[in-house]
Amino acid sequence: MELDFSIVLRFADALAYGLWLTIRLTLICIITGGALGFLLALARRSKNRLLRGASTVYVEFFRGTPVLIQLFWIFFCLPIILGVELSSFVSGVIALTLYTAAITSETFRSSLGTVSREQIDACVALGLPARVQVTSVVLPQALLRAMPTLLSNTISLFKESSLVSAVGMADLMFVGQNISNNTARPVEMLTAVALIYFAVAFPLTRAVSVLEGRILRKLAA
Amino acid sequence: MDYSLDLGAVTRNFGPLLEGLWVTIQLTLAANVIGLVLGFVIALLVMSRVALIRVPATAFVEFFRCTPAIVQIVWFFYCVPMLFNIYLGSMTMGIVALGLNLAAFNGEAYRAAIQSVPREHRDAAVALGLSPLQSTLHIILPTAFRLAIPVLLTNGIVIFQQSALVAIVAVPDLMYEAKSLATKTYRPIETFTIVALVYFAVSFPISQLVGWLERRRSVAMA
Amino acid sequence: MFDGAKDQTALVRMDGLHKSFGPVRVLQGLDIEMKRGDRVVVIGPSGGGKSTLLRVLMGLENINAGSISFGGQPYISVKDGKTVIDPKVRRSIGMVFQHYTLFPHLSVLQNLILAPCKVNGESASGAKERARALLTRFGLGAKADAYPNQLSGGQKQRVAIARALMLDPKLMLFDEVTSALDPELVAEVEQVMLELAAQDMPMVIVTHDMWFARNIASRVIFCAGGVVVEDGPPEQVLGSPIHERTREFINRVFHIRT
Repeated sequence: MELDFSIVLRFADALAYGLWLTIRLTLICIITGGALGFLLALARRSKNRLLRGASTVYVEFFRGTPVLIQLFWIFFCLPIILGVELSSFVSGVIALTLYTAAITSETFRSSLGTVSREQIDACVALGLPARVQVTSVVLPQALLRAMPTLLSNTISLFKESSLVSAVGMADLMFVGQNISNNTARPVEMLTAVALIYFAVAFPLTRAVSVLEGRILRKLAA
Repeated sequence: MDYSLDLGAVTRNFGPLLEGLWVTIQLTLAANVIGLVLGFVIALLVMSRVALIRVPATAFVEFFRCTPAIVQIVWFFYCVPMLFNIYLGSMTMGIVALGLNLAAFNGEAYRAAIQSVPREHRDAAVALGLSPLQSTLHIILPTAFRLAIPVLLTNGIVIFQQSALVAIVAVPDLMYEAKSLATKTYRPIETFTIVALVYFAVSFPISQLVGWLERRRSVAMA
Repeated sequence: MFDGAKDQTALVRMDGLHKSFGPVRVLQGLDIEMKRGDRVVVIGPSGGGKSTLLRVLMGLENINAGSISFGGQPYISVKDGKTVIDPKVRRSIGMVFQHYTLFPHLSVLQNLILAPCKVNGESASGAKERARALLTRFGLGAKADAYPNQLSGGQKQRVAIARALMLDPKLMLFDEVTSALDPELVAEVEQVMLELAAQDMPMVIVTHDMWFARNIASRVIFCAGGVVVEDGPPEQVLGSPIHERTREFINRVFHIRT
């Protein structure tokens, strides 16, 4: 068969539109999911057993089931349960937020655990009250340490967001697949789609390594 | 909520779901065999001193890690037959696509584990008069394997969950059966909830095992 | 320069301190009275309770029995098995640790002003001014905006001392502050401590460096098995100890390389 990659350029606008939806979904959900994930991480370290148990079940459940089924559940079941119509964008945001919260809560949980006992001793020796210890010493260090992993989580979310194509949202994957079906040019279109995902994700993975090195050196002091 | 739950709709149709689960498990196991073996080979290639070997192997790993699995699977199903004139059964296609994806992730796990074997172990092996091959076989690889096991298991569960993606290209796995059952019976809540629980019931014990292994190791290392 | 210099009244009174880590009894009835003019160096075998003593004095560890008063005020006591610590009294004690424990996410200046601003409510500009003066005095004037990971070990430890001094402590505790340093960096830290000693800052120092102990101490306490074995002026304890156990220890550490 003959390959003709110029076809990709003819649909550049549509692909850009799809990529834009993918990026919007990713950015919105890493913020909402990250915020929820942070609260979940605090709940998992709480002294209250109910809070700790519930948050653990939440995290294990979302990590233990395919994202695709979570997405289907939100798209097909949530509107029935709530008795309201949800736009597909809202459903997509809800589904990916809930999933991202489970993933980022693990990131926050492990970074909260890395602030050393010695740092707390230093706080006590300086007479810092508990509230100041948390806001000025523990949280800033934990958040700093979480940054590279959060960026990795963002890259994963960027890739996972392609699942929304399965419920008909016009993201990069959906647009690419749609064009490839209509033009009967799957090799060119799907390869282009893969390369676009790669072109965004790969530089970011490099950035994660660089960022990680810098932050670890800084916190090693 | 104007919807009364009817679990019977699902339990009456448990046959197809069980068949779907069996397909999912076969996909997972076969993909894991490919991933464990090919992943190890890839790790060795990635660490090669010869650029002609290292660069393509690294490109393979990075490509699979930096694109969505669903894109890989759809690409595989549509493009491989057209490009290479090979027509494999959909099950085989699913296994190969998932297996290659897992091989890339496991390759990284093996590489990280091999490189994290402490320098002192190699030095000690040299000091004991072991040849490079002997020290690799008897010191580095056994340690590296033990270090890699939790990550390999985690990757194995992830591929179990990712296998749901083959439903999109009509492989009749658990996800696919769930979708068709939900459509057929108009019972999405019961179907998707139960199927989610089935996935969870398989993943959870293995992830607990991973957690246990890691805790045991951090105690052993302390 | 500091309050109560040369004063001979008691600054710290420790009575019958007991402390166990699980089954291990680290302090077994420790009684020490420290005068306002004292610079105490605590020496002894590892596991003998030296560091635990400092940590208890700083209020970092619970105790099982005993009490501590500071400047005539009750500071630490045990009620119903629980350690009660007066945080107000604790604020007049400063401590420097073996591993620097600077806050890595804050600059040197921010490390110094954190506690004065957050605890004492001092204005940031006032605290910064004091901090810069202190850093300059310790030869770190150019490092105010550096981050801890950009400093050498000796510089970090001097910053840690400055950070503790920002709260105007009435007593300074030094827990093996030169043990983690490369040998060539030890002197710069000891120099700073000697400078504080010259200004009659009361201090308790745990160190393995017997030469430094002899230079800085006004009093040396030999601790072993969780009790005070010998207590006296440095010439006596380090030079001609009375107790057999002290003598053995001193001989071992002084002749360790012969």
